[in-house]
This record gives sequence, C-alpha cells and structure tokens, in this order.
Amino acid sequence: MPRILLVEDNEMNRDMLSRRLQRRGHTVELAVDGLEGVARALEGGWDLVLMDMSLPEIDGWEATRRIRAAGASGQMPIIALTAHAMSGDRDKALDAGCNDYDTKPVDLERLLGKMQALLTPPA
Amino acid sequence: MNGTLDPKAASELRHELRTPINHIIGYAEMLREDCTDGSPDAATIDRIIGVAREVLALINAALPPTGIATLEDLSGLLADLATPQETVLAATTVLLEGAHDAQFVADVERIAQAVRRLTAVPVPSALTGARESGPYAGTGTAGAAATVRAAGAAPDVAITPHSTSARAGSKGRILIVDDVEENRAVLARRLEREGYDIDSAANGEDALRKVAQDGFDLVLLDVLMPGMDGFAVLERITGNPDTRSIPVIMISALDDLASVVRCIEHGAEDYLTKPFDPVLLRARIGASLEKKRWHDREADYLRQVTRVIEAASAVELGTYAPGALAGVTGRDDELGRLARVFDAMAAGVHARESRLREQLRELQSDVSLATTEYEAMHQSAVTDGGDALAVGSVLGDRYEIRGVLGTGGMGVVYRARDRKLEEDVAVKTIRRELLTGDAVLAERFMSEIRLARRISHRNVVRTHDLGDADGQLFVTMELVQGLTVRELLMTRGKLGVASTLALARQFTEALAVAHAAGVIHRDVKPENALIDGDGVLKVMDFGIARLAEATSTRTQSGLIVGTPAYMAPEQLVGEEVDARADLYALGVVIYECLTGTAPFQAPSAVALIARVLTVEPVPPARENPDVPPALSALVMQLLSKAAAQRPASAAVLLEQLAELG
Repeated sequence: MPRILLVEDNEMNRDMLSRRLQRRGHTVELAVDGLEGVARALEGGWDLVLMDMSLPEIDGWEATRRIRAAGASGQMPIIALTAHAMSGDRDKALDAGCNDYDTKPVDLERLLGKMQALLTPPA
Repeated sequence: MNGTLDPKAASELRHELRTPINHIIGYAEMLREDCTDGSPDAATIDRIIGVAREVLALINAALPPTGIATLEDLSGLLADLATPQETVLAATTVLLEGAHDAQFVADVERIAQAVRRLTAVPVPSALTGARESGPYAGTGTAGAAATVRAAGAAPDVAITPHSTSARAGSKGRILIVDDVEENRAVLARRLEREGYDIDSAANGEDALRKVAQDGFDLVLLDVLMPGMDGFAVLERITGNPDTRSIPVIMISALDDLASVVRCIEHGAEDYLTKPFDPVLLRARIGASLEKKRWHDREADYLRQVTRVIEAASAVELGTYAPGALAGVTGRDDELGRLARVFDAMAAGVHARESRLREQLRELQSDVSLATTEYEAMHQSAVTDGGDALAVGSVLGDRYEIRGVLGTGGMGVVYRARDRKLEEDVAVKTIRRELLTGDAVLAERFMSEIRLARRISHRNVVRTHDLGDADGQLFVTMELVQGLTVRELLMTRGKLGVASTLALARQFTEALAVAHAAGVIHRDVKPENALIDGDGVLKVMDFGIARLAEATSTRTQSGLIVGTPAYMAPEQLVGEEVDARADLYALGVVIYECLTGTAPFQAPSAVALIARVLTVEPVPPARENPDVPPALSALVMQLLSKAAAQRPASAAVLLEQLAELG
C-alpha cells in the first residue's frame, strides 16, 4: 500500500484529496505548511510526496529544494500541485526538484496516472 | 474597459478561483462514486460537476495561463459567475434535502462553501476603479481589493428537514419567474416542500399571462431575464389595478443599490440577492404572504361592508332583493352578525313594502272606479252651492272663483285661480257669524291656522293662507284633484281590507305629523280626507274644526256641527280633548270602510250620542268576515270609550298597523 505525504495548507484540499487517495488504496499522511512538509518528508518511509506550491512559512518550491538538498533521505518522488497553473509553473517546479507537476482542480485519473508512473520502478 | 491585469495579480486570481472549483469537483466526484448510476442524487451531482467544469473553462479563458488577462475579460468573468454559482448552490440544497449520512452532508456543505467562495475572491484594485459603469456599479467598494460579495455574509445552507407527507392545504400560491430552468426547479421543489403551491414562468410574457389568469399570493421575480426583464414585469404587475395587490419579491444577482431602489420604487415588496439565503428567503416569503393575507382580509372585509351599505341604500330605494347579502351573512364575526340581522330586517321590510304596494294598488283601483261613477254627482254639487260667490268673481283681488267644490257647516269651498302665483287653489270661506263678537275665539282660530300652515306632509292638504276680503274670511289651501273618502264609500259601499289598510295608514301618518306639530284635527271624518288618482290620501281642515266646535258649545244650541257619529265620548260631553279623540274618529272611519256602515246608528242625533256614550259597537269582523281578527280588535281599541284605552298616539297606531301588514 503506497504511503503518500500530502503537503497542503488548504484544509478542504487536504480533506478531499486525502480521502480520494485513501479510497484508491493509498495511505495518506498530512503536513500543513512548507516547514512541516520538509520535516515530515525527511522522516522517511514515503513512497511519494504531493507538494502544493502555495504554502505558508516556505512555499512548495523552497520546501522541495530543501528536501532534495537533504541528501539520500530526500529523494522520494515529489509531484507539485498548483492551482495557479500558469505557464512556466511546470518548468519552475521541475527546476526546484519535482518529478512531475499537476494542476488544481485535480483531475484524479490524470493525477493517479502520474503517481502510478512514479510509484512503479522502471522495469 | 481597456488594459490588462498585472500578471502576478492574474496568477493570484486564477489560484483563488480555481481552488474552490477544485473543491467542488473533488467533493462532487467523491460523492458521485458513492451514488448509484441513475439515482436522483447522481444526476444532481453530475450537474454540479458539469457546471464546475464550465466555470473552470470560463476562468481559464478570462485568466489564461500566460498571465495576460484583460480587465474587460475579467469583469465579464466576475459577472458570469453568479448564475453557475446559484445553480450549484441550488443543487447542494437539493442534495441536502434527502436522507444522508453525516459525511455526505458535510461534503455537500463543503461544496456549497466552496462555491460561495467563488464570488468572494478579492478583486484586483485595477478593477475597482472601473466598476462604476460595470455590472458592479454602485456597490460602494473602495480600496485596493474588494470582494464581489462579502465572504462573511455567506449563508448557512443547512435546510430544516421538512415533512412532505402531511401537507394539509396550501400555505399560499407562489409564481416563480426565472429564465434558468435549474433555478426554477430548485426553488419550486424547496417551496413545495414547505407547503406552498407553486407555478413557474420562464420569461416575462409568460409570467404576466399567468399573473393575470390565476390568483397568486406572491411572485418571486428574477431581475435579469432575456427579453422582458424583471423591472418591466414588475412595472406591469404593480401598474395593473387587478394585480397590484400581489406582492413581488425581486431576486437578482445584482445587488447594487440602484437596482434595489428601482425595484422598491416600482412597488416590489422585497429584494433578495442571489445566491439567496434560504432562511432569509423563507422569512421574507412568510412575511409577504402574511401581509398579503391581511391585505386580502381587509379588502374582503371592506368589500362586504360595502355590500351591506349598498343593501341599506337598496332598502331605502325599495330595490332590495332578499338574500342579496348571502356571502356576508355566512361570516362568523360581527359583520356577519350585522348582515344576518340586517338581512332578516330587510327581508321583513321588503315583504311589508310588497304588501303595502299591493294595498295601495287596490285603493287606486277603488278610487278609479268610484271617480267614474261619481263624476255626474260632483257636477251637480257645483251648481248647488253657487249662492255665495259667483263664478268669475275675484276674492281679495287675488283669487278668481272658478267653481264650487263643496259646502260645509262653516262655509263653501271653491275652486279658485290664484292670480298672483298663477296656480289653482281651494278657497274655503268662513261664515262671518262664527267669529263675530269673540276675540278670544278668533285669536285661537288664527293661531291654529298658523300652526296648520306649518304642516307639510304628503298626506295633509297644505293650508296656504288666511285672508279677509271686505269682511269675508277665507282660508286658501292646496287644491287636490280627487274624491273624499265619503264619496268613495258612497260609490263603493265598503272597501276591501287591503284598501282600508292603505287608507288607514296614510290617515294615521297625517294625524301623527299634525299631532307632533301641536295640532289636533277635532273633526276627523270621511268628508275631510281626499284621495287622488294615485291613491294618495290627504287630510284637510286641520285647525278649522275648533271654530265650529267652539261655536256650537258657545251658542249652546245643541246643534252639533257635522255629525256626532265620529266624535269621541269625551268630545261629546264637552271634556277637554287630546290627540286620542282624533284616533277615536279614525276608528270610526276605518270601521265604516271595512263594513260600509258606521259603528253607531240612530234615528236622531240625541239617540246617536247616547249610543256612542253607552253602547259597545259590534266588532267589524262580525259585520264582515273578511276582516282579520287583529284588525277588528285594533278598530275596537280605537273605539274605546275611555281615551286611555286607545292607542297612546298616532305614532303608536302606525306601529300597530305595520304589525298587521
């Protein structure tokens, strides 16, 4: 059962997305801001991190950069999520160290596809 | 509106708008997974998802990922959000009305919360300055950011569960006017659950047609509609006297002051902005309907009061139809009681008036027959009395004698032409010897004539003047074309009960008005009452009899002017008489009308007087079996030897006659 960390400050987003992922067989744990996201991510044991980009304390880009900068414990797949969905956001996320990028509103099937691609190790 | 939005602001706004859409779609899809395909909830949720995706497309178009957003596009977007927002809110209301678990309810409420945020996003300052002419003109916003609608005002969408099983009668009939089908359906469903009877219209023309045809208690009217808008519909409803009393609550996405003022000025009862707060809506509908009910009740009450007043006028005019107050008499309030009492009284009056008309018709018929028969005799009377004043002579330079109408104990009655007033009058000459040598008597006579002149009544021959021409005293009077009751009786023998009652009633009215003026007739007899062709009886010679009476006493000649047959016992023995002596005499007249004979008959005056004083007359009913016992008894009461046993006054007698019908 994949273990997912959802870093999201918006309560409704957290509630909704975590429940939807749980319904699809994922274990989901939560962090509510950038700093907590970094701390929880570095605890280890995650199959994947879903990182919102607009976060209090430090934003998703900075949080991703800090996770990646932590060395071996910070190399899990990270998918950036943003409601801004502006041109360039994708590149900005990938530059920060994210493996993939998706927009909100969440298209669940699309997101699950991206997650699946990252959860399944290349053959 | 030109110009573009700052890219950073555009990005922020995109985020702010897409986030609630994310929530709506996310929760809705989750809820949809739990629904059975084809269920009503599934359809409602699909609708929410569909609308949210449409809104997302609008947002993406107005705020493209490139960050280049024009203020015009953005302004259009904000205006475009109201309707889908309302649709989603309505759908969440529908979902909450079903029986669901707490999680379902919580998720639906989150959707509602999210959709409300859609129009609560901070608007970039660049837009606020341009708003004055836009759809948000007049909201009075200021500062760098303003909300499309205050987030704090977000309504609580929770709906009180309502039982649909026991709907006992409608709480009111409401017309919903909205061009968006979803809005109509949702509002209709909700209000139906609350017990209202609902109809809806999709456009202004349809709404006006329905309002004109059906009795609605309330109209919920959308302002923005294609074609005829809500303002135009409102103006038509409030401008039409037939529909003016129907309250109209305006519902609109526009919440600017100008449109609210415009609606209120055009007679809207209330104004609600979309998305409306269900609790507020319910309260306002309740208040409007309550007001309408009071208004209707008041209008209905006034209508029924008007009917009672009209009925009263109809009674006066004699056109009242019994049962005309049928609707009002059924009320269980005071007005109903008044109407019932009135209706019963009016029905009584109506019946009595019908009888009176019938009686008068019979009297007219008697007069008509008698007139034809009597004409020859009358002509001969004229030639009889021509000894005093010659036809063609002029009395007092004013009254030209045209002929003799009759002769009596006091003088002759002439028909004369009043040259001054150019009209025909009756002139009664008074024998000079009646007054000579008694100044007191002369003065009393004059004063009685003066009083009689004041009596003006349709049943009294009008006394005009007292004149003295070269020593010839005379009284001028209204000339009445008709027969005396004596003449009537001479030709007809006796009269029917109906004719007699018509005659007696009019005679009594004449006495009542004279007595009220302080005049006692003292010589009531068939010769002193005239009946014209219309059956109208007129009593004459008020006040004149005093002269004859006094004279006869004074001279002690034992000669009684006129006949003692009509004189009350107290009058015969020379006691002071009052109005009741006139009533006695009237009793004799009525007796004679009913039986054709006087109650007392004797070969001489002395014998007659003795009988009047001592003998009880035979009741008229025994003489004529057609006479009802009550009428017979009343006549006997009038003929009572003691004045105290007669009706107390002519007014009392009138009431007694009325009771007889």
